[in-house]
Amino acid sequence: MTRKLLINVVAGLALAFAASLPAQESGAPDADAQSRDQFRQLDQDVQSLKKEVLDLNRDLFLLEEELLFPANSQVAFFVSMDVGEYFKLDSVSLKIDGKEVANYLYTDREAGSLLRGGVHRVHMANLKTGDHELVAIFTGQGPQSREYRRGATLNFSKGIGAKYVELEITDRVKKQQPEFVIKEWE
Amino acid sequence: MKIRNLLAGLVFSVFAASSLASSGLAGQPAPDFALKSSTGQNMRLSEYRGDVVMINFWATWCGPCRQEMPLLDELYTRYQRVGFNLLGVNIDDDSSRAMAMINELGVSFPVLFDASKDVSRLYEVDAMPVTVIVDREGNVRHVHQGYKPGYEQKYLDQVRALLRE
Repeated sequence: MTRKLLINVVAGLALAFAASLPAQESGAPDADAQSRDQFRQLDQDVQSLKKEVLDLNRDLFLLEEELLFPANSQVAFFVSMDVGEYFKLDSVSLKIDGKEVANYLYTDREAGSLLRGGVHRVHMANLKTGDHELVAIFTGQGPQSREYRRGATLNFSKGIGAKYVELEITDRVKKQQPEFVIKEWE
Repeated sequence: MKIRNLLAGLVFSVFAASSLASSGLAGQPAPDFALKSSTGQNMRLSEYRGDVVMINFWATWCGPCRQEMPLLDELYTRYQRVGFNLLGVNIDDDSSRAMAMINELGVSFPVLFDASKDVSRLYEVDAMPVTVIVDREGNVRHVHQGYKPGYEQKYLDQVRALLRE
Protein backbone atom coordinates (compact mmCIF):
# COMPACT_ATOMS: atom_id res chain seq x y z
CA MET A 1 0.00 0.00 0.00
CA THR A 2 2.74 2.28 1.03
CA ARG A 3 4.56 1.30 -2.13
CA LYS A 4 1.56 2.30 -4.26
CA LEU A 5 1.32 5.62 -2.48
CA LEU A 6 4.99 6.28 -3.19
CA ILE A 7 4.52 5.49 -6.86
CA ASN A 8 1.55 7.86 -7.03
CA VAL A 9 3.52 10.66 -5.38
CA VAL A 10 6.45 10.19 -7.77
CA ALA A 11 4.07 10.06 -10.72
CA GLY A 12 2.32 13.20 -9.50
CA LEU A 13 5.60 15.01 -9.10
CA ALA A 14 6.69 13.94 -12.54
CA LEU A 15 3.42 15.22 -14.00
CA ALA A 16 3.74 18.49 -12.18
CA PHE A 17 7.30 18.89 -13.50
CA ALA A 18 6.13 18.01 -17.02
CA ALA A 19 3.34 20.57 -16.73
CA SER A 20 5.74 23.25 -15.66
CA LEU A 21 8.13 22.68 -18.62
CA PRO A 22 6.05 24.18 -21.44
CA ALA A 23 5.56 27.29 -19.35
CA GLN A 24 9.36 27.72 -19.07
CA GLU A 25 9.90 27.05 -22.78
CA SER A 26 7.39 29.65 -23.77
CA GLY A 27 9.30 32.37 -21.71
CA ALA A 28 12.77 31.58 -23.29
CA PRO A 29 12.32 33.27 -26.70
CA ASP A 30 11.51 36.58 -25.03
CA ALA A 31 14.58 36.40 -22.81
CA ASP A 32 16.75 35.46 -25.77
CA ALA A 33 15.46 38.32 -27.88
CA GLN A 34 15.98 40.67 -24.99
CA SER A 35 19.52 39.51 -24.38
CA ARG A 36 20.22 39.65 -28.13
CA ASP A 37 19.01 43.25 -28.20
CA GLN A 38 21.10 44.03 -25.18
CA PHE A 39 24.11 42.42 -26.83
CA ARG A 40 23.52 44.37 -30.05
CA GLN A 41 23.28 47.58 -28.06
CA LEU A 42 26.43 46.70 -26.20
CA ASP A 43 28.17 45.92 -29.48
CA GLN A 44 27.11 49.28 -30.88
CA ASP A 45 28.33 50.98 -27.74
CA VAL A 46 31.69 49.21 -28.01
CA GLN A 47 31.95 50.13 -31.70
CA SER A 48 31.19 53.79 -31.03
CA LEU A 49 33.64 53.75 -28.13
CA LYS A 50 36.25 52.19 -30.42
CA LYS A 51 35.63 54.92 -32.98
CA GLU A 52 35.93 57.58 -30.31
CA VAL A 53 39.22 56.01 -29.15
CA LEU A 54 40.50 55.95 -32.72
CA ASP A 55 39.49 59.58 -33.24
CA LEU A 56 41.16 60.56 -30.00
CA ASN A 57 44.23 58.59 -30.92
CA ARG A 58 44.44 60.34 -34.28
CA ASP A 59 44.00 63.75 -32.66
CA LEU A 60 46.66 62.92 -30.10
CA PHE A 61 49.02 61.70 -32.80
CA LEU A 62 48.57 64.88 -34.81
CA LEU A 63 48.99 67.00 -31.70
CA GLU A 64 52.10 65.09 -30.79
CA GLU A 65 53.46 65.53 -34.29
CA GLU A 66 52.75 69.22 -34.39
CA LEU A 67 53.62 70.21 -30.89
CA LEU A 68 55.03 67.62 -28.58
CA PHE A 69 57.38 65.32 -30.42
CA PRO A 70 60.73 67.16 -30.34
CA ALA A 71 62.23 65.31 -33.30
CA ASN A 72 59.60 66.89 -35.44
CA SER A 73 60.68 70.40 -34.71
CA GLN A 74 64.32 69.39 -35.05
CA VAL A 75 66.61 71.02 -37.53
CA ALA A 76 70.13 69.66 -37.78
CA PHE A 77 72.98 71.57 -39.41
CA PHE A 78 75.93 69.69 -40.87
CA VAL A 79 79.28 70.94 -42.17
CA SER A 80 81.06 69.14 -44.99
CA MET A 81 84.12 69.93 -47.10
CA ASP A 82 85.13 68.90 -50.55
CA VAL A 83 88.76 69.21 -51.71
CA GLY A 84 89.59 72.24 -49.55
CA GLU A 85 92.59 73.36 -51.57
CA TYR A 86 91.55 77.00 -51.44
CA PHE A 87 90.28 77.08 -47.89
CA LYS A 88 91.56 75.97 -44.49
CA LEU A 89 88.61 75.95 -42.12
CA ASP A 90 89.00 77.66 -38.77
CA SER A 91 85.48 78.20 -37.47
CA VAL A 92 81.81 78.21 -38.37
CA SER A 93 79.31 80.49 -36.73
CA LEU A 94 75.56 80.03 -37.17
CA LYS A 95 72.78 82.54 -36.69
CA ILE A 96 69.14 81.56 -36.89
CA ASP A 97 66.70 84.45 -37.24
CA GLY A 98 69.40 86.89 -36.17
CA LYS A 99 70.36 85.00 -33.01
CA GLU A 100 73.75 83.31 -32.73
CA VAL A 101 73.19 79.64 -31.92
CA ALA A 102 76.56 78.04 -32.57
CA ASN A 103 80.19 79.02 -32.87
CA TYR A 104 82.45 76.07 -33.49
CA LEU A 105 86.25 76.15 -33.65
CA TYR A 106 87.80 73.39 -35.75
CA THR A 107 91.10 71.89 -34.73
CA ASP A 108 93.51 70.64 -37.42
CA ARG A 109 92.38 67.09 -36.75
CA GLU A 110 88.72 67.96 -37.15
CA ALA A 111 89.35 69.93 -40.34
CA GLY A 112 91.40 66.96 -41.60
CA SER A 113 88.50 64.61 -40.89
CA LEU A 114 86.18 66.85 -42.90
CA LEU A 115 88.62 66.78 -45.80
CA ARG A 116 88.65 62.98 -45.67
CA GLY A 117 84.89 62.92 -46.16
CA GLY A 118 83.62 63.37 -42.63
CA VAL A 119 80.45 65.31 -41.95
CA HIS A 120 80.16 67.26 -38.73
CA ARG A 121 76.85 68.02 -37.05
CA VAL A 122 77.60 71.53 -35.89
CA HIS A 123 74.22 72.32 -34.36
CA MET A 124 70.81 70.92 -33.63
CA ALA A 125 67.84 73.17 -32.98
CA ASN A 126 64.14 72.91 -32.30
CA LEU A 127 62.38 75.33 -34.57
CA LYS A 128 58.72 76.23 -34.92
CA THR A 129 57.02 75.54 -38.20
CA GLY A 130 57.27 78.50 -40.54
CA ASP A 131 59.91 80.55 -42.32
CA HIS A 132 63.39 81.00 -40.88
CA GLU A 133 66.65 82.60 -41.91
CA LEU A 134 70.00 80.91 -41.47
CA VAL A 135 73.24 82.86 -41.73
CA ALA A 136 76.47 80.86 -41.64
CA ILE A 137 79.81 82.63 -41.29
CA PHE A 138 82.90 80.67 -42.23
CA THR A 139 86.36 81.85 -41.16
CA GLY A 140 89.70 80.40 -42.10
CA GLN A 141 92.58 80.81 -44.49
CA GLY A 142 91.81 81.40 -48.13
CA PRO A 143 94.07 81.32 -51.18
CA GLN A 144 97.68 82.45 -50.50
CA SER A 145 97.04 81.84 -46.77
CA ARG A 146 95.05 85.03 -46.42
CA GLU A 147 92.49 85.51 -43.67
CA TYR A 148 89.16 84.61 -45.13
CA ARG A 149 85.68 85.30 -43.82
CA ARG A 150 82.58 84.52 -45.81
CA GLY A 151 78.89 84.36 -45.10
CA ALA A 152 76.13 82.36 -46.70
CA THR A 153 72.42 82.78 -46.15
CA LEU A 154 69.52 80.41 -46.56
CA ASN A 155 65.86 81.19 -46.14
CA PHE A 156 64.06 78.00 -45.39
CA SER A 157 60.62 76.91 -44.44
CA LYS A 158 60.19 74.51 -41.57
CA GLY A 159 57.26 72.15 -41.94
CA ILE A 160 56.24 69.09 -39.99
CA GLY A 161 59.05 66.57 -39.70
CA ALA A 162 62.76 66.81 -39.05
CA LYS A 163 64.87 68.94 -41.34
CA TYR A 164 68.52 68.61 -42.31
CA VAL A 165 70.65 71.43 -43.64
CA GLU A 166 74.14 70.98 -45.05
CA LEU A 167 76.76 73.71 -45.11
CA GLU A 168 79.10 72.64 -47.86
CA ILE A 169 82.53 74.09 -48.53
CA THR A 170 83.81 73.33 -52.01
CA ASP A 171 86.53 74.60 -54.30
CA ARG A 172 85.63 76.62 -57.34
CA VAL A 173 88.56 75.74 -59.56
CA LYS A 174 87.76 78.27 -62.31
CA LYS A 175 87.90 81.22 -59.91
CA GLN A 176 90.48 79.57 -57.63
CA GLN A 177 88.29 80.46 -54.71
CA PRO A 178 86.34 78.46 -52.15
CA GLU A 179 82.60 78.32 -52.44
CA PHE A 180 80.10 78.10 -49.57
CA VAL A 181 76.78 76.49 -50.31
CA ILE A 182 73.88 75.80 -47.98
CA LYS A 183 71.65 72.93 -49.04
CA GLU A 184 68.50 71.45 -47.62
CA TRP A 185 68.38 67.68 -47.57
CA GLU A 186 65.16 66.26 -48.87
CA MET B 1 93.01 73.10 26.64
CA LYS B 2 89.38 73.52 25.66
CA ILE B 3 90.15 76.72 23.75
CA ARG B 4 93.00 74.98 21.95
CA ASN B 5 90.68 72.15 20.88
CA LEU B 6 88.08 74.63 19.77
CA LEU B 7 90.62 76.53 17.69
CA ALA B 8 91.94 73.31 16.15
CA GLY B 9 88.39 72.32 15.23
CA LEU B 10 87.73 75.72 13.72
CA VAL B 11 90.91 75.62 11.64
CA PHE B 12 90.10 72.10 10.48
CA SER B 13 86.56 73.04 9.48
CA VAL B 14 87.82 76.09 7.55
CA PHE B 15 90.32 73.88 5.68
CA ALA B 16 87.67 71.26 4.98
CA ALA B 17 85.24 73.91 3.71
CA SER B 18 87.87 75.50 1.43
CA SER B 19 88.93 72.15 -0.03
CA LEU B 20 85.29 71.25 -0.69
CA ALA B 21 84.65 74.59 -2.32
CA SER B 22 87.62 74.11 -4.61
CA SER B 23 86.72 70.55 -5.56
CA GLY B 24 83.26 71.12 -7.04
CA LEU B 25 84.52 69.76 -10.34
CA ALA B 26 86.69 67.01 -8.89
CA GLY B 27 85.47 63.58 -9.94
CA GLN B 28 83.34 65.02 -12.74
CA PRO B 29 84.11 64.65 -16.45
CA ALA B 30 86.19 67.67 -17.51
CA PRO B 31 83.98 70.01 -19.58
CA ASP B 32 85.21 70.02 -23.17
CA PHE B 33 86.27 73.23 -24.89
CA ALA B 34 88.12 74.50 -27.94
CA LEU B 35 90.16 77.69 -28.00
CA LYS B 36 92.59 79.45 -30.27
CA SER B 37 96.20 78.98 -29.16
CA SER B 38 99.32 81.09 -29.22
CA THR B 39 100.52 79.12 -32.27
CA GLY B 40 97.40 80.13 -34.21
CA GLN B 41 95.94 76.63 -34.10
CA ASN B 42 92.68 75.74 -32.42
CA MET B 43 93.02 73.23 -29.60
CA ARG B 44 90.31 71.02 -28.13
CA LEU B 45 90.62 69.36 -24.73
CA SER B 46 88.92 66.11 -25.80
CA GLU B 47 91.69 65.52 -28.34
CA TYR B 48 94.04 64.87 -25.43
CA ARG B 49 91.98 62.01 -24.01
CA GLY B 50 94.44 59.31 -23.00
CA ASP B 51 96.95 61.84 -21.68
CA VAL B 52 97.12 63.44 -18.28
CA VAL B 53 96.23 67.10 -18.87
CA MET B 54 96.86 70.07 -16.64
CA ILE B 55 94.78 73.15 -17.38
CA ASN B 56 96.24 76.29 -15.86
CA PHE B 57 94.06 79.43 -15.87
CA TRP B 58 96.17 82.56 -15.65
CA ALA B 59 96.21 86.30 -16.34
CA THR B 60 98.97 88.83 -16.96
CA TRP B 61 97.91 90.92 -13.96
CA CYS B 62 98.28 87.96 -11.58
CA GLY B 63 101.60 87.92 -9.66
CA PRO B 64 101.49 84.27 -8.49
CA CYS B 65 100.79 83.19 -12.10
CA ARG B 66 104.06 84.79 -13.18
CA GLN B 67 105.80 82.95 -10.35
CA GLU B 68 104.18 79.62 -11.15
CA MET B 69 104.45 79.49 -14.94
CA PRO B 70 108.20 78.74 -15.29
CA LEU B 71 107.77 75.90 -12.75
CA LEU B 72 104.85 74.50 -14.72
CA ASP B 73 106.92 74.72 -17.87
CA GLU B 74 109.59 72.56 -16.23
CA LEU B 75 106.96 69.98 -15.40
CA TYR B 76 105.70 70.10 -18.98
CA THR B 77 109.10 69.67 -20.63
CA ARG B 78 109.98 66.82 -18.26
CA TYR B 79 106.82 64.73 -18.59
CA GLN B 80 105.51 65.67 -22.03
CA ARG B 81 107.02 62.59 -23.70
CA VAL B 82 105.32 60.21 -21.27
CA GLY B 83 101.78 61.42 -21.89
CA PHE B 84 101.48 64.69 -20.01
CA ASN B 85 100.06 67.84 -21.53
CA LEU B 86 99.70 71.32 -20.18
CA LEU B 87 97.25 73.87 -21.53
CA GLY B 88 97.65 77.40 -20.22
CA VAL B 89 94.36 79.29 -20.53
CA ASN B 90 94.82 83.03 -20.51
CA ILE B 91 91.78 85.08 -19.54
CA ASP B 92 93.02 88.57 -20.51
CA ASP B 93 90.78 90.65 -22.75
CA ASP B 94 93.80 91.51 -24.90
CA SER B 95 95.75 88.47 -26.05
CA SER B 96 98.75 90.57 -27.16
CA ARG B 97 99.63 91.17 -23.48
CA ALA B 98 99.58 87.43 -22.88
CA MET B 99 101.82 86.87 -25.92
CA ALA B 100 104.30 89.42 -24.58
CA MET B 101 104.39 87.68 -21.20
CA ILE B 102 104.82 84.22 -22.75
CA ASN B 103 107.76 85.51 -24.76
CA GLU B 104 109.24 87.22 -21.71
CA LEU B 105 108.98 84.11 -19.54
CA GLY B 106 109.97 81.82 -22.40
CA VAL B 107 107.38 79.13 -21.59
CA SER B 108 106.99 76.36 -24.13
CA PHE B 109 103.57 74.92 -23.27
CA PRO B 110 100.63 75.91 -25.46
CA VAL B 111 98.71 78.94 -24.28
CA LEU B 112 95.07 79.31 -25.24
CA PHE B 113 93.09 82.55 -25.23
CA ASP B 114 89.78 82.73 -23.44
CA ALA B 115 89.01 86.41 -23.92
CA SER B 116 85.26 85.76 -23.78
CA LYS B 117 85.76 83.90 -20.42
CA ASP B 118 83.45 81.10 -21.57
CA VAL B 119 85.87 78.37 -20.55
CA SER B 120 86.66 80.07 -17.22
CA ARG B 121 82.96 80.07 -16.43
CA LEU B 122 82.74 76.42 -17.45
CA TYR B 123 85.46 75.60 -14.91
CA GLU B 124 84.02 77.90 -12.23
CA VAL B 125 87.25 79.90 -12.05
CA ASP B 126 86.88 82.39 -9.21
CA ALA B 127 90.53 82.78 -8.19
CA MET B 128 93.79 83.31 -10.05
CA PRO B 129 95.59 81.10 -10.90
CA VAL B 130 93.46 77.95 -10.98
CA THR B 131 95.08 74.65 -11.89
CA VAL B 132 92.94 71.69 -12.89
CA ILE B 133 94.43 68.22 -13.39
CA VAL B 134 92.53 65.85 -15.67
CA ASP B 135 93.24 62.10 -15.77
CA ARG B 136 93.61 59.85 -18.82
CA GLU B 137 89.88 59.08 -18.75
CA GLY B 138 89.02 62.78 -19.07
CA ASN B 139 87.86 63.24 -15.46
CA VAL B 140 88.85 66.15 -13.26
CA ARG B 141 90.94 64.73 -10.44
CA HIS B 142 92.47 67.74 -8.71
CA VAL B 143 91.62 71.43 -8.55
CA HIS B 144 94.03 73.94 -7.01
CA GLN B 145 93.02 77.51 -6.41
CA GLY B 146 95.75 80.12 -6.14
CA TYR B 147 99.46 79.43 -5.91
CA LYS B 148 101.89 79.39 -3.02
CA PRO B 149 105.53 78.30 -3.17
CA GLY B 150 105.52 74.55 -2.59
CA TYR B 151 102.40 73.85 -4.65
CA GLU B 152 104.64 72.66 -7.50
CA GLN B 153 105.58 69.64 -5.37
CA LYS B 154 101.88 68.79 -5.00
CA TYR B 155 101.42 69.12 -8.77
CA LEU B 156 104.44 66.89 -9.37
CA ASP B 157 103.18 64.17 -7.02
CA GLN B 158 99.67 64.25 -8.46
CA VAL B 159 100.82 64.23 -12.08
CA ARG B 160 103.22 61.36 -11.44
CA ALA B 161 100.49 59.37 -9.68
CA LEU B 162 98.07 59.91 -12.56
CA LEU B 163 100.69 59.01 -15.16
CA ARG B 164 101.22 55.71 -13.34
CA GLU B 165 97.50 54.81 -13.45
